[in-house]
Amino acid sequence: MYCKDTMKYALFLGCAIPIKYPGFEAATRRVCERLGIELVDMPFACCPPPTSLKMVHHDSWLALAALNLCRAEEAGLDLLTLCSGCVNTLKEANHTLKKSDSKRRKINRILEDQNHHYKGTIEVTHILDVLYQDSVVEKLIKEMSLELPMKIGCHYGCHYFRPPKIMYPDELSDSESYVPVKMDHLLSIIGMEPTEYSRKFLCCGSPLGANADQDAGYAIVKEKLGHIRERHIDALSVICPSCFEQFDMGQIALSRKFKDQSKIPIFYLTQLVGLSMGMTPKEVGLDVHRVKSKKLLESIGIS
Amino acid sequence: MKQALDDMDKKANSPADLRVGVYVCHCGKNIGSTVDCEAVAKFASTLPHVTLAKDSLYTCSEPGQEQIKTDIREQKLNRVVVASCTPRLHEPTFRAACESAGLNPYLLEMANIREHCSWVHLHEREAATSKAKDLVAMAVARAVRLEPQFELSVPVKRSSLVIGGGVAGIQAALDMADAGYQVCLVEKSGSIGGRMAQIDKTFPTMDCSICILAPKMSEVGRHPNIQMLTLSEIKEVTGHIGNFKVKILKKARYVTDGCTACGDCIQACPQLAPDEFNAGLSIRRAIYIPFAQAVPSRYLVDMGLCLNNQGIVACDRCFQACTRKCIDFADQDKIVEIEVGTIVVATGVDVYDPTALTELGYGRFPNVITTLEFERLINAGGPSSGELIRPSDRKRPKNIAFLQCIGSRSKRSNPYCSNVCCMNTIKDALLIKEHWPETEVFVFYIDIRAFGKGFEDLFQRARREGVTFIRGIPGEIIEDISNGNLTLLGENTLLGTQYRYTMEMVILSVGIKPRSDAPIVQRLLNLSTDTDGFYMEAHPKLRPVDTTTGGVFLAGAAEGPKDIKDSVTQASAAASRANILMSKGEVKIPAVTARINTDKCVACGLCAKVCSYHAIEGSKELGYYRVVEAMCQGCGACVPECKFGALDQAHFSDAQIVSQIHEALANEPERKIVAFACNWCSYAGADFAGVSRIQYPDNVRIIRTMCSARVAPEWIELAFSMGAGAVLVSGCHPSDCHYNNANQNTVRRVEKFWKRLDKLGLNKDRLRLAWVSAAEGAQFAKVIKEMEQGLRELTPDQVLETKQKLAKRVPRKGEPV
Amino acid sequence: MTVKLWNFFPREALYECYQCARCTGSCPALEVAEALGPRETILKCLNLGHDEVVEDERLWVCCTCNVCEDRCPQKIPISDLLVALRNSAARRGNIPDKLQIAIELLAKTGRSMIVHQLDEMRAHHGLAPLMPVPIDEVREVLKKTKLDDVIEF
Repeated sequence: MYCKDTMKYALFLGCAIPIKYPGFEAATRRVCERLGIELVDMPFACCPPPTSLKMVHHDSWLALAALNLCRAEEAGLDLLTLCSGCVNTLKEANHTLKKSDSKRRKINRILEDQNHHYKGTIEVTHILDVLYQDSVVEKLIKEMSLELPMKIGCHYGCHYFRPPKIMYPDELSDSESYVPVKMDHLLSIIGMEPTEYSRKFLCCGSPLGANADQDAGYAIVKEKLGHIRERHIDALSVICPSCFEQFDMGQIALSRKFKDQSKIPIFYLTQLVGLSMGMTPKEVGLDVHRVKSKKLLESIGIS
Repeated sequence: MKQALDDMDKKANSPADLRVGVYVCHCGKNIGSTVDCEAVAKFASTLPHVTLAKDSLYTCSEPGQEQIKTDIREQKLNRVVVASCTPRLHEPTFRAACESAGLNPYLLEMANIREHCSWVHLHEREAATSKAKDLVAMAVARAVRLEPQFELSVPVKRSSLVIGGGVAGIQAALDMADAGYQVCLVEKSGSIGGRMAQIDKTFPTMDCSICILAPKMSEVGRHPNIQMLTLSEIKEVTGHIGNFKVKILKKARYVTDGCTACGDCIQACPQLAPDEFNAGLSIRRAIYIPFAQAVPSRYLVDMGLCLNNQGIVACDRCFQACTRKCIDFADQDKIVEIEVGTIVVATGVDVYDPTALTELGYGRFPNVITTLEFERLINAGGPSSGELIRPSDRKRPKNIAFLQCIGSRSKRSNPYCSNVCCMNTIKDALLIKEHWPETEVFVFYIDIRAFGKGFEDLFQRARREGVTFIRGIPGEIIEDISNGNLTLLGENTLLGTQYRYTMEMVILSVGIKPRSDAPIVQRLLNLSTDTDGFYMEAHPKLRPVDTTTGGVFLAGAAEGPKDIKDSVTQASAAASRANILMSKGEVKIPAVTARINTDKCVACGLCAKVCSYHAIEGSKELGYYRVVEAMCQGCGACVPECKFGALDQAHFSDAQIVSQIHEALANEPERKIVAFACNWCSYAGADFAGVSRIQYPDNVRIIRTMCSARVAPEWIELAFSMGAGAVLVSGCHPSDCHYNNANQNTVRRVEKFWKRLDKLGLNKDRLRLAWVSAAEGAQFAKVIKEMEQGLRELTPDQVLETKQKLAKRVPRKGEPV
Repeated sequence: MTVKLWNFFPREALYECYQCARCTGSCPALEVAEALGPRETILKCLNLGHDEVVEDERLWVCCTCNVCEDRCPQKIPISDLLVALRNSAARRGNIPDKLQIAIELLAKTGRSMIVHQLDEMRAHHGLAPLMPVPIDEVREVLKKTKLDDVIEF
């Protein structure tokens, strides 16, 4: 991971968070302010999603991603994303354009009429990686006012770290895979108990639901929830709005078919960090969650 | 330039009447279907000094060789050129033929028109034929400058060192000791036996492994001709074939030979550690015996674990418990020095650790184990006394799954097939069915390799016993924490359906790989390894147990994954090869040593400085330096150091190589790549490209030297000044040099030349330095392809400029201009 | 309009496959739906040619989770293959309806979601209104990349 002297990023909100889950955005902005991370807003377009446009028309996908990268380059700032889909698209596009002279030339020819020129001068990062930096963690320890003692299951999703040779090339294991641990570590700092569960790195199924069959997607959620429940985990933490929706809406949809299954609340990472800094559930946007977390939070003294 | 060459020639001792016989081999269709051998022979007959030129179908055959012998006698030939396969294959054959006809064997030259020509330009008849003609012209030019050489005889000590005490080392040691020679067997651990001692039963015979091994082990232990050193490591090896001086570190055992292995001491010892012999499944103490049937049957103290490791006796419980008082904390490490004539390397293998394959849960799920751990589990001497129990709850599993190809056939671990795992699993499956017939056994595989004698039969027996074979490796294993059971998720490829099997125990059939300390022995003995890290044999088909270091032989899995039968076979083969040397008592040193003309020598000592064998001695006071022939390995690294023309190398003289450069560049020099390739690695790598039929452009003309350090900057200069398109200097990878890092000199000289090219404003990319090992045929082809690309961008002006700028060279002292 | 698939993806990469089925064995889509699975996709491309695959609507039943590529012992770039196959299918007009709608929305609005009474909801969370998307730039770029070969917008 790279260290930056100035914690200043171009904030890439994506589409889902600012439109569907503005609570995540609010929580993130508040948390970053308290931790001295400066976020600069810019008029970005959709990333575009690795699950849709890339599959249908790769050239368009690369060009729109390049457009977003250029905007950040022109401001001289690294890109900070809040969504796994966004980080996957933007990191991969950045990597492709840096590596391939011919692709870069082709894209720059397309962008020149809009007065953009991709240079390959910035990096793309995700809010989890930014919060995990040593200097930020030190600040977090100072800023946090309460612990959140509960068993938390981390769901990293897929697009955040796969394929590892593009997303985290410096952290490959001997067998060239990568097992992420940052979220578990970060949440243990705010007093949570990260708990392992079977098939922790199984996909949430969201793209399956979006492209093919919603029920099939939720069947995967059911599989995951089964393993999560057997470890008596109190809540889930995610770093992507698609994963969030899949678990949140998914449990509602599943509860119509499979009655009397206790529901497991899901949190977006910065909501948990915000709570530990003393923000209220409303301030971090918990009221719009379909699966309610009120009882759980009250049990640890947050109301 | 030509004048200098003529003068060099006049100094050479060639007979006034040179009569060269040229034989162009068809090698059946191998050369004949690509190269027009008749035309090449016809061309050869037009070359100066060529008395006769013939083409024949199989020159290496009996009639082929007879023809050469007849011609030598009847046509009074005094030089022979055979244009055929690589000299690394048949140079000895044709040399023997010459010798038996009364011609000095060093008056033979070969042109490699097969591995370096017909096999790599399969679809370019014209280009291949033209290249073959060039190669023959080069060979004839060298042949006429060859001089008769007489090999020095060096005595071979009638003793051998065997490194590694597994079944291969044991077999080799016994074969040599039984033949009457002294053998020193060095084993790193506390007992000989190796992997075979850890295995429960062998395939396909289902013998008890230690039962058939133990008698051999005791034979080694009591053999009058075998000095067995356990807890010992090789520290240094100097010398050469016939006379190696070896320093061995014999680590302190802390237990004297009065030990009767009664075991009273273990009860007393407070320290615990995982037992390596039982693959970590049980505990041992600081004082222990590796296993019950250990040879020597003597306990040892693991001082790293023992409480007395600070040099004072803090705990003497074992000493007190020992009735025979054979524990000695004052024991010290010792250095043992021996001299041997031959060495056999039988260092064996390690097992792949599947922890890195996180989707399988090894290391996290207690009931996922490796096949080695399983061997110990079902062995009567193992952690559960042979009871089939699973680690989590010590209950007998109702069903067991074997997963094949774990850590083999994979770019994520080891790319090769580990040879033994299929049969090992079949054997294990049968064992389970024999003793615990109610237990279900599943084998998840990709391919079942049951190739050896009795193997297919064993596979059939397993199927008959109801072992289920499913084609499709699970993608993932999930653990049920409530009962330790494992769910395997995968696809049955033959049915095309997904499966979900719940198993009580999973055994990963792990591959075998070179030991982590294999590089140490490699450096000590100058061995080559293949791309997977196994030691390389001199020739994969014809010299499977020799190494490129004379007098050093390979045995067992250290050379490549193999089972017990093949290890034992190879060990006997290695012993036989060593026995040949030892029984003869002498070996001839190839006559390629460096020679100093003391008249010209000014005693500057530069040559002695670069000799990694310290084979050049002398001083300013003495007024000259000279080569100690018995110690000279023939790398030629010293020759380019001499600025006074006093040094040359026998059979690889400056005149000979220079003549080859001349012939290589006689026609269309600007499209030629002159390549200097070292005998052990790069030339062999180019051969391997040919063997693998990897195609590459025909521009290259390879000139062989023993070592890349022989390559003189003057040769590079000469090539460019004659208009060569590009020059390649190719040798062994750094630290793999056959001559003890002599190739560091190569780097130094080429870098200096690059600086010179830079200063002259010439493109230094036209001189390339490449490291190509004997296994890297593809790499060699890649380099040639890249250089040919460079040639396409070369303009005639650039060639001319290079010629002019490098033609003005400063003549060597003593040489006419 | 039809683009040579193997210009975008090196066919030689597929020769490495020895059909171990670790990929399909790891596929979440196959567990819950009628999917094609990577192993079968690769085998069909090798033995039958990619037409078989590109006309099969099961090609789109995929989580894009990338675990197949992660576990492949031969390091076959499976996700690149699937992207190439789907791009090829799209050029033939084989796009699932849901995806078609999603991309039309993206091309029209520059976002992947419909914005409806957004500013109020954002204000409720104390957030400023969302910056508008530079939709003209987006449309110009998409015209240049010829997205309309595949999706009308």
